[in-house]
Amino acid sequence: MVGTKDLEAHFEFECKACEDGRCSKADVESILAERKGLKDFYEAFKEHIRECKRMTYGQYMFVIDREVLPEAVLWWHNHPKFKETHMSTAVGTDERPLNGHFAYMPFLNVQVEPFKMDENYWVFLKVYTPADDPSFPSVAAKLPAALWIEREVKDLLGFKPVGHPDPRRLILPEDFPDGVYPLRKDMDYRHSPITEPRTEYRETPEGTTLVPMGPVHAGVEEPAHFRLFVKGEKIVDVDYRGFYSHRGIEKTGEGRLTYNQVLFLAERICGICGYQHSVSYAMAVERLADVEIPDRARYIRTLLLELERIHNHLLWVGIAAHLVGYDTGFMHAWRIREPVMWLVERLTGNRKQYGMNIVGGVRRDLLDYRKEEVLKVVKEIREGTKKFLDIALNTNTFIKRAEGVGILPYKVAKAYSVLGPTARASGRKIDARLDQATKTAMAYHEVDFKVPVYKEGDVLARVLVRMDELFESLWIVEQLIDQMPDGDIFTPIGNLPEYQEALGFTEAHRGEVVHYVMTGEKNKVYRWKVRAPTYNNLPAVPEMLKGYHVADAPIIIASIDPCYSCTERVQFVDVETGKVKVLTEAEFNELSIKYKGVF
Amino acid sequence: MAEAPSHSEKLKSWDRMKVEGFSKKAPVTTPYPFTDIEKPPEFRGIPHINPEKCIGCGACVQACPPDALIMEWDKEHGVKRLTYNAARCIRCARCIEVCPTGAMEPTTRFEIATDNKEDLVEVVEHKLAYCEECGEYLDFTERQIEYVRNILPKEIFDAYALEDRIKLTQEEKMRRTVVKLRELESNVYPAFMLVEKGKEKKGGEE
Ligand code: SF4
Ligand code: SF4
Repeated sequence: MVGTKDLEAHFEFECKACEDGRCSKADVESILAERKGLKDFYEAFKEHIRECKRMTYGQYMFVIDREVLPEAVLWWHNHPKFKETHMSTAVGTDERPLNGHFAYMPFLNVQVEPFKMDENYWVFLKVYTPADDPSFPSVAAKLPAALWIEREVKDLLGFKPVGHPDPRRLILPEDFPDGVYPLRKDMDYRHSPITEPRTEYRETPEGTTLVPMGPVHAGVEEPAHFRLFVKGEKIVDVDYRGFYSHRGIEKTGEGRLTYNQVLFLAERICGICGYQHSVSYAMAVERLADVEIPDRARYIRTLLLELERIHNHLLWVGIAAHLVGYDTGFMHAWRIREPVMWLVERLTGNRKQYGMNIVGGVRRDLLDYRKEEVLKVVKEIREGTKKFLDIALNTNTFIKRAEGVGILPYKVAKAYSVLGPTARASGRKIDARLDQATKTAMAYHEVDFKVPVYKEGDVLARVLVRMDELFESLWIVEQLIDQMPDGDIFTPIGNLPEYQEALGFTEAHRGEVVHYVMTGEKNKVYRWKVRAPTYNNLPAVPEMLKGYHVADAPIIIASIDPCYSCTERVQFVDVETGKVKVLTEAEFNELSIKYKGVF
Repeated sequence: MAEAPSHSEKLKSWDRMKVEGFSKKAPVTTPYPFTDIEKPPEFRGIPHINPEKCIGCGACVQACPPDALIMEWDKEHGVKRLTYNAARCIRCARCIEVCPTGAMEPTTRFEIATDNKEDLVEVVEHKLAYCEECGEYLDFTERQIEYVRNILPKEIFDAYALEDRIKLTQEEKMRRTVVKLRELESNVYPAFMLVEKGKEKKGGEE
């Protein structure tokens, strides 16, 4: 048995956490006994584990040797008993100013029992790499869920995932020079170098024709470039290039803002699931500060989260109807949705970007006479949606285009760590609202609701999952209004501990949103990592497209409810250097003539 | 004159259906922008600085996430300039929350599109207070001093002898402290002052 002493002996990094008594190296045994599975992992990898500690409630970290990283991730991901465990995302951090090393850390959402938040937990597997050799064996070679995140840390931090099957550029623009890594601490956030553009598209496979889709998606009106390789009408293979709306938000958050200012930035990551981002971020910081927020604040947050889910599902079903050519459905779905927007506008002060959150609680109270208004809207929506579904699901235009299209089998969904309704339509029993301990920031454990799961995995199943969820959300809202406790809506936070890490998470209407926060000195954020659900869902889209017709591509892509702007968080728009050149009309014409027939 | 309804009355009575006049045929759409639309009283529009109330404390500047509010000092001319730029503002209303005097006023304005960038900017200039002793400008405004006078209870003023010191530069304040300490013979002096005291004594002996 390896005791604490031995752990100490081969622990070689200076870990700041122990100084203020947070690190619980002293009682490794009791930590490992807290949850099922931790002990087994420890036994299996004890030669390579350098440290284990509990970060906060239900979040555990193991510092391991980099050589065993893929085995360790797969040990959890393919755990025979914990079926729905998945690799959620990872974060790369430049910790050179702290300890002279880079750190790469995958997060695993370990599901001992689906929907039991007090049994499930997060595992962080941290590996340190030396500053002059930031390489680690690629997990992506064996697990597609890690494909994008490893390309991301390669782009932004200059890490080297050895053996990565597709090491092309993912995030940085084509005209960004090699060897400049924006998320390293020695790069200033205003710096924005530029060189000759260079594209790295995949070769068109032999015998196929290239059909480019994008750079703007036909229905979602957002930038993403799909390159479909087709044989006749059939899609054989797909290449994807996105991240056209990368904004450098993470870097800005680390650079000059205080923790409360970052919150408002977090809300503006996405125009659709903004509130989920803001709650996740607030939750991470509240965990770090170790405060309990008042019950009333938790209820108000949950209420708004659910209202957001309701209007977003209606928005999505409208777009889906539009994409299959059923525009009547589109108009009606959006008509039904509008009263929710009006309601939140009156509850919070805006239709979107509620600005309701603050670290430690919420900013506006729910006036009592408003409760009736909420219930009235809920009733309206329920009736409206029922009627709408009655008609839409009996419309052949809709059904024929959705049934049996874009099938995503369970195995593929799990390998790519697909999340949210897309995953639930493929039979995965996951829902971050209940799976992990959201109870510190939200009130989901105090209401009763079901999580709909379908097995078919096609577009129709995704529609049905979302619509079932919508009715559950309406039911949750009614319960929340009924149970709304009295009291304060805000607790002061005080100072944050330095160099601590925690996760905040919640279920957006497209999957689990994860915010990782590492605090720095003086209440600043040292590292802030945002993972929107589309980040996990989008890499699986090529798998859904293969074998279907070109005409089905828009609806298949839209069926995951993609949101490019929050996936891509991070472009260096630089106002000062003004490097962006606008072409005059004459120049433009000249170029068009020169490249005639090339593009 | 009839009394204006209170804010909560206004909130209660505002009715979108009445204001926007939706018809059965178009239950959620209006001919906007060909008609005006009115936002509910809760709406968070762009804020507006009331120059009469603002004291130039800068609390709003500290809180503003996207740097839509900027504070500049012009010590040569003795002004402190608070600039609000609606183009950068994300309408989070943090400034309204933190403003101690209520000078940041919420509005329900949301249409800020313009063909002249200067329409988006609001500037409030404050006179800086100056030192009674040396005449140099201080870091804070006359209104800030006024405000401090008004909110602090008399006892605190007396206890710290603030009335004499409030209008002095930092250096002047320090100088006066030293002088005062020297005057008090029985005081336990910190090390750096002992040197001075020794000198003084020597001088006295001579
Ligand atoms: S917080 Fe209020 S009083 Fe202070 S500078 Fe801003 S607007 Fe003026
Ligand atoms: S509303 Fe927010 S963004 Fe606008 S000036 Fe105030 S604090 Fe700044």
